[in-house]
Amino acid sequence: MQTHYSDLLVIGAGLSGERIAVEAAQAGFGVTVLSIVPARRSHSSAAQGGMQAALGNCAMGKDDCPDVHFLDTVKGSDWGADQEVARMFVDTAPIEMRRLAYWGVPWNRVVPGKSFYFKGGEKFEKVEPEDRAGLITARSFGGTAKWRTCYTSDGTGHAVMCTMDNRCAQLGIDVRDRCEAIALIHDGQTCFGAIVRSLRSGELSAYLARATAVCTGGFGRIYKATTNAVICDGAGHIIALDTGAVPVGNPEAIQFHPTGIVPTDILVTEGCRGDGGTLLDVNQDRFMQIYEPEKAELASRDVVSRRMTEHMRKGLGVKSAYGDHLWLDIRHLGDKHISTKLREVDEICKYFLGIDARTQLIPVRPTQHYTMSGIRTDKDGAAYGLTGLFSAGEAACWDMHGFNRLGGNSLAETVVAGGIIGAKIAEFLGGHEVKFDTTLVRQAGAQAEERIKAIVSGTNGHEDVYKVRGALQEALMDGCFVFRNGPDLEKCIDTLHEVYERSGRVGLRSNGLGANPELAVALKIRGMVKLGLCIAYGALARTESRGSHTREDYPERNDRDWLTRTLAYWPDGAEKPVLKYEPSSPVYELPPGDRGYGGGKIIPADPASLTLIKKEVKG
Amino acid sequence: MARLLKLNVFRYNPQDPKSVPHLQTYVLDETDNMTMFIALNRVREEQDPGLQFDFCCRAGICGSCAMVINGRPSLACHTKTKDLPDEITLLPLPVFKLIGDLSVDTGVWFRAMYDKVESWIHTRKEFDPKALEERMDNAVAEQIYELERCIECGCCVAACGTARLRDDFMGAAALNRVARFVVDPRDTRTDKEYFEIIGNDTGIFGCMGLLACEDVCPKDLPLQNQLGYLRRKMGITALKSLFSRK
Amino acid sequence: MSSILAMHVAQPSRRDAYLDWLQMLSGAALVLFMWSHMILVSSVIIGPGAMNAIAGFFERTYMAQIGGPLVFAAFLFHFVLAARKVPFRAEKQGVAWAHAKMMHHRDTWLWIVQVVTAMVILIMGAIHMWVVLTSLPISAEKSAARIQGGWWLLFYLVLLPMVELHVSIGFYRIGVKWGVIKADARSGAKKAENILFGVFMVIGLVTLVRFMFLAI
Repeated sequence: MQTHYSDLLVIGAGLSGERIAVEAAQAGFGVTVLSIVPARRSHSSAAQGGMQAALGNCAMGKDDCPDVHFLDTVKGSDWGADQEVARMFVDTAPIEMRRLAYWGVPWNRVVPGKSFYFKGGEKFEKVEPEDRAGLITARSFGGTAKWRTCYTSDGTGHAVMCTMDNRCAQLGIDVRDRCEAIALIHDGQTCFGAIVRSLRSGELSAYLARATAVCTGGFGRIYKATTNAVICDGAGHIIALDTGAVPVGNPEAIQFHPTGIVPTDILVTEGCRGDGGTLLDVNQDRFMQIYEPEKAELASRDVVSRRMTEHMRKGLGVKSAYGDHLWLDIRHLGDKHISTKLREVDEICKYFLGIDARTQLIPVRPTQHYTMSGIRTDKDGAAYGLTGLFSAGEAACWDMHGFNRLGGNSLAETVVAGGIIGAKIAEFLGGHEVKFDTTLVRQAGAQAEERIKAIVSGTNGHEDVYKVRGALQEALMDGCFVFRNGPDLEKCIDTLHEVYERSGRVGLRSNGLGANPELAVALKIRGMVKLGLCIAYGALARTESRGSHTREDYPERNDRDWLTRTLAYWPDGAEKPVLKYEPSSPVYELPPGDRGYGGGKIIPADPASLTLIKKEVKG
Repeated sequence: MARLLKLNVFRYNPQDPKSVPHLQTYVLDETDNMTMFIALNRVREEQDPGLQFDFCCRAGICGSCAMVINGRPSLACHTKTKDLPDEITLLPLPVFKLIGDLSVDTGVWFRAMYDKVESWIHTRKEFDPKALEERMDNAVAEQIYELERCIECGCCVAACGTARLRDDFMGAAALNRVARFVVDPRDTRTDKEYFEIIGNDTGIFGCMGLLACEDVCPKDLPLQNQLGYLRRKMGITALKSLFSRK
Repeated sequence: MSSILAMHVAQPSRRDAYLDWLQMLSGAALVLFMWSHMILVSSVIIGPGAMNAIAGFFERTYMAQIGGPLVFAAFLFHFVLAARKVPFRAEKQGVAWAHAKMMHHRDTWLWIVQVVTAMVILIMGAIHMWVVLTSLPISAEKSAARIQGGWWLLFYLVLLPMVELHVSIGFYRIGVKWGVIKADARSGAKKAENILFGVFMVIGLVTLVRFMFLAI
């Protein structure tokens, strides 16, 4: 087993991982970045919409400022966010957008003069100010007071990813693709790096580092219907959870996207609705205005997903071989708009559905989309439970999204958090020394080798890993999707325990040599089921509806009892997760209130308890 | 009614001493709206769990799944089986190093390319966090983005006659990358500096104009126009220095 | 100081750029020559007198005696330049052939056509030029005699399409390589390429037929 050493090991070369790497490398530290795919293929590049930052340059973003952005973010989170973190985020975001412009992102810019936009299918006029010409412009995006989403046509994530990876190349950062971390090296107190499997040769190596950052994105692939890339299977969460010391925060906080195309669940951006696209039912009638008279199609994504599901449950969905769906209509936006501003959407329709969005309707349904849940960290990005372990981006629960993140906030988070946490890691590296225990490293390597040997030779059994994964995905679709309730969750948990047991008996049907793909899944399957169980237990315990966590049997938001964050630990050898709780936020700059959309009753918190939370955390 | 598809897939695992390169045939029933992503995953899950191929976004955004489908380098994820005949032959991309079966190493190739063309903005300015961003014409931003759309799938390189004949040819992806910085006003490099990178037969003058890059590019990048533009620009740069020297 | 530094800093070579210019210019010049040549020779269709008058003009102005060898030189020069891009080792030829077969791509095939025609033209074109230039002056009767001799007809029936293919493809290729033909004009340019090929083939064949039946 080869051993590599660096000051900082970043696992995952998406936007947050590379942003951290850039920050640490600029501070003079040696950084190694590992990725299972070439960096630019990371799922960050698939984010089409944009990044939210209160620059306030465009006409519709006039008078925007971080304070307004903060209100939108905290309200959007349904008060599940850590308000200190949300505040840091909104204050830093505009600077970060400018920094990205300096590094090379071709942001769309303000074009002065008259132009038109669509809202809810109607045409409006706006006049862009002359004095802002050429500054970074913004577009409208689900659930914000102002137009605040910076974008580059329909490929913001891709463009920023290119720039960030260019920056890494410029700094000479060692970015290695086709490397998958399969275990963290730790002693229960401190993290020393990771055991890594090469996805070229299958060989194992040890990557030692004084600091390790997990930036592996979300874990949507544990659901059957998801907009996530196939690599978003929770590999980073699994190795963190496996330590027994690091918790997953708010596992039940999973967001669903209203417009995944049927059947491949490829996301068509919210920009469609932002630009004036409408949703139609089986009778080709609009329906969102019935549920959300004010915002209609522009309501936040969890509200839209839920209303779509509700409408389909009334029997108004379009029947198809893949189940019910609804229609997204962007025909009225016209050829020019569709072929420039919504080009990626146009391509998706052409390439993956074989339809022309100028004349035809797009079949859509809600699918899993984003995990607000993630490795719980403090505001510096340091993971709970292990010194020297950090996390950022979708992989982390930092936690600015709470129970619902706003479109455009997550992509902005990757770089904003990456910058903040990268600086904190550099600070940490300045004062943190470790002694590497070679026995510990060798043990971790030997353990991984033994696991692999057992799976390849089938000593534990011969369960088909793809079937086990299928069972996990189905169970979550049934019990932990847009709507949740006690009995279904209990049933889901029973099924998942069965699946968990099967996952321990997985054996390969292929030979396992080289970069064997079956082995890659087999090494993760048990962890994937663990994550599923964390979601289900977390969702069952949380007897309220908050953000994207919707309990049919507990429709009210309960601030009295549930203004908390779930922390799911999986102690070594345990059969199920151990749930702990902490206050949602150490401080309440914005006291809990009504989001102004989504409806639902609120059981208010005892104001005294909020102060108490404040004191407890500060003390 | 559903067709039976015959997939002839290149198989070879360099890490397995017993493996020899060969075509293996799988038979699969076609379903509605089937893409090669669905087909290959079904083959792996139902018939051959060790089959190696790369998918990531499965939405034509990331460029992972380029392979040679019935002779043409293209993205498997946006290839619909209904557009193909009953018999489909899948080969790994040429030029790039084979990892196994349909999987090739584009990552290392492209990282070397970034270093070669210095794929980043060259500027002497420092970033000032307190200042407004520098203004840019929106049309220029869109022009940059137009070229930035490259997803590094490698199709253009695999389809390139020159790249097949000489290992050191940069390929359309690299030349397009240079064009991206040429149009970017933030990059202060001069034509002469760009000439140092691409003004030779490993660069723009190695291009033989077969235009397969243009014809296979899954993102429809304007490669033909960019290559022509760079050839003229670099050709003129060379002539200029012929007269300006001493 | 700069001179001292310059001794150790490799100057970027402009060689490839110049060679590429020369390849293009020699190619373009030869294309224009070939078209003029064809048109001049085809004057025999009007009558041997017309052709002889033109030939005589070139003879009297010494353009045939000097221009002829110059064209021959340009022809060899162009070959040497273009050959830099042509695979001569069997292994590379195999790669190029396999590539074209795999791609099912017209422009890639056209390149193979260009390479193959180039080799044929190199030999046959050289023979043609040698024969013509060593027996100056040119006259319709001499040409007709050669063609009516038998084997020479076959020779020109092979050389004619080779030249016309190479010339029209080359003309198109220069256009796309140097960005004169833009992407949206490409299919039009291809059509033009086909028409040029067709027109000159017809002129060439008619000229040959005319020579066949020209009374010596």
